[in-house]
Amino acid sequence: MAALLEIAEPGQSQVKEACVSAAVGIDLGTTNSLVAFVGPDPASGAGKPLALPVDEGSTLLPSVVSYRVDGPPIVGREARRRAADAARDTIASVKRFMGRSSADPETKRLSPYRFAEGESGTVRFEVAGRTVTPVEVSAEILRTLKTRAEERLGTPVRQAVITVPAYFDDAQRQATKEAGRLAGLEVLRLLNEPTAAALAYGLDKRSEGTFAVYDLGGGTFDISILKLVEGLFEVKAVGGDSALGGDDFDRAVAEVLLAEMGRERDPRLVRQAIDAARAAKEALTARDSVEVEIAGFRRTLTRAELEAAMRPLIERTGPASRRALKDAGVEGKLDGVILVGGSTRVPAVRAYVRELFGLPPLADIDPDEVVALGAAVQADLLTAEKPQHDVLLLDVAPLSLGLETMGGLVEKLILRNTTIPTSATQEFTTFADGQTGMDIHVVQGERELVADSRSLARFRLSGIPALPAGLARVAVTFQVDADGILSVTAKEQLTGISQSITVKPSHGLTDEEIERMLLASLEHAEDDMAARLLIDARIEAQRILRAAEHQLESNGDLLDAEERAPIEQAMQSLRAAMESSDHRPIKDAIERLDHDSAEFAKRVMDRGIERALKGHTAAEFETGEMSEHAKKAYRALKDE
Amino acid sequence: MSEPTATCWSCGADRAPADALCPSCAKVQPPAAGNAPDKFAVLGLPRGFELEARQLDERFRTLSRKLHPDRFARATARERRFSLEQTTLLNDAYRTLQDPARRAEHLLELRGVRPLSDTAMPEEFLEEAMADREKLLEAKMEGGKDGVEQLSAGIRKKRDAALEEIASVLRDASPQPAALSRVSELLARLRYYARYLDEAMGRAPEL
Repeated sequence: MAALLEIAEPGQSQVKEACVSAAVGIDLGTTNSLVAFVGPDPASGAGKPLALPVDEGSTLLPSVVSYRVDGPPIVGREARRRAADAARDTIASVKRFMGRSSADPETKRLSPYRFAEGESGTVRFEVAGRTVTPVEVSAEILRTLKTRAEERLGTPVRQAVITVPAYFDDAQRQATKEAGRLAGLEVLRLLNEPTAAALAYGLDKRSEGTFAVYDLGGGTFDISILKLVEGLFEVKAVGGDSALGGDDFDRAVAEVLLAEMGRERDPRLVRQAIDAARAAKEALTARDSVEVEIAGFRRTLTRAELEAAMRPLIERTGPASRRALKDAGVEGKLDGVILVGGSTRVPAVRAYVRELFGLPPLADIDPDEVVALGAAVQADLLTAEKPQHDVLLLDVAPLSLGLETMGGLVEKLILRNTTIPTSATQEFTTFADGQTGMDIHVVQGERELVADSRSLARFRLSGIPALPAGLARVAVTFQVDADGILSVTAKEQLTGISQSITVKPSHGLTDEEIERMLLASLEHAEDDMAARLLIDARIEAQRILRAAEHQLESNGDLLDAEERAPIEQAMQSLRAAMESSDHRPIKDAIERLDHDSAEFAKRVMDRGIERALKGHTAAEFETGEMSEHAKKAYRALKDE
Repeated sequence: MSEPTATCWSCGADRAPADALCPSCAKVQPPAAGNAPDKFAVLGLPRGFELEARQLDERFRTLSRKLHPDRFARATARERRFSLEQTTLLNDAYRTLQDPARRAEHLLELRGVRPLSDTAMPEEFLEEAMADREKLLEAKMEGGKDGVEQLSAGIRKKRDAALEEIASVLRDASPQPAALSRVSELLARLRYYARYLDEAMGRAPEL
């Protein structure tokens, strides 16, 4: 039986596919997270990315997760409101902990959380009677974005491009990918945030030239230098600081306030001071002074005082920016500076950027949304049969990758800012007579000593034939894929024995831990089966209603009034059924509409075939110049 | 250019080993086997030291558009793998050819001349290098920026002269073996000059 949904005009099959499942762009931010989508836009011919409202009408979902003893965690604004009362159970700025070990000093700095020691040194928060990892907390945010986007779009969302700071190392990238997987998303690509922003800008402005993207978010600072030529976005250099952002401004100001108060600190007070500092910072973008009140303590804070507290932090963005310019080889030849991230709203930051680059910065696209918009464009590029834009991104490896050699030195195989994908091979020899194994220690960073670098992985190549020192040769190959993720192969040249791994963070999650978390999320999903079925039924209903409306509009002339009435009636009862909180009446109504519109669907199909064949000759069909769709239609007609 | 010695895995048509895309069906092909592919061929450019930067950039962009993994996100696993391998080769070839010293090194490699290791350099050069570095260290200790800048200018002059000499040898269609080993030595000098200038600029790893 032909159904309305199955009808697609030749060459329009992507419309149907787009309906089945949507690919979105997600900015998983330190302070706020967003989801955006490129919809088909027949009016202009080119779809524009759009950020979806996801939290109380806003496109910004605060990246705050509040855990409760009874009931599922709360995400977003409501969670943020609970923060002051349930400081230890409410995790904010979890991005700062992604891929970090509990031993990192950064981890405990001024944070009100309780930490539990993990098996593999992973950070674990103790919340509401259980422990959760940063990956799980991030997955909770992603799951919320996914569900709300599905409600908005009326289609399931299964694939996403998720953005990460360009300066994220391998461990942080892996952690982000795991969070996506845990939230039930296929992560199509991890996209660097500044690159995403440039993508959104480049498309909007249709500009060409060399641009700097200055991205100061809640917790990270990124600088990228890109060249735009005819739809090709070539990243020339990236740099930054993965532990510097607006949160630090708030903390610096909170420090000043707490020091003045001189009271004993507890998590609640610290949280209140940070909240007050943030509110003051936001208010002072438009005013010169503001009243601050924390637990009975009052004072007036001026913009000058705020800027004095922030200045040293803002200036920390200088050296990284200058180095990126130097690496890109474009000193003094910039065409523009793009501002990204909420912290670039701070007037002192804008003034500093102008001073640093000698150019007035661009901020026409909302700096909070621009990254998610770019990610949505990339998701469209990777999934659509006919992407809305003909662009290509060429990204780079943000940090050098190397191996430990004798004496704790680093031998770099891939230098930072090398265009990816890339690979490099280096030969090593044995240093002892009869040596049969070789330890491979993979490190990331710019320093010369292993002790100063980030350890990514260790593995051992064994089975090397016992030979005098220096005779056995082992070739180690690094391959970095388009996601910036590294795999390493070691191969002994005489025997061909080889060993390879995809680098996992050495202090990230073990595979068993990931499995366990995946299982837990599956169980969780079963609990929610009824809710899931309801959402699916509603989505299906929306889809079929939309298809029916579309066909009535464009092919309504195939029906007379008498034939049209039952279809419209079935549509009406389906709309009513959608209000139900049970999936069954919706399913029933869908079936009825399907049944009542079968004849109509057949006529639309016939007309489609007729149109598809017009202008096509049998010769064309034989030489394969006709689309697959038209061929199918042609065969169907011949068979009849 | 070269004899077709490979066939397309998809349509079976003859193709040149360096073809990244089948000339007949346009499917992406696996890279040619072997350790040292001709990086000029990867970019579809004639072998030679003289190279127009604009033409190189243009070729790189055109090929990136066709070969990049993003273009194969919906293709089969096999095509995705070939695309990754071809793009990796392309990026590497572009990086090598952009830099005159590395370009010259690759031309030598293609002629079977191995690069000279730093320790195989003539005695007088090593002595000269040591004296240069001592002067740089002294100038840095004194703290004057002018002194360092003056020394750097001297090294840049030597570097440019070496590049000029390399270019003149390689412009010759069939240079003598002696001339090629002279190039090999000049390349080792260039590596030393590059390190010197990095140090002079104080490009110490930051982070």
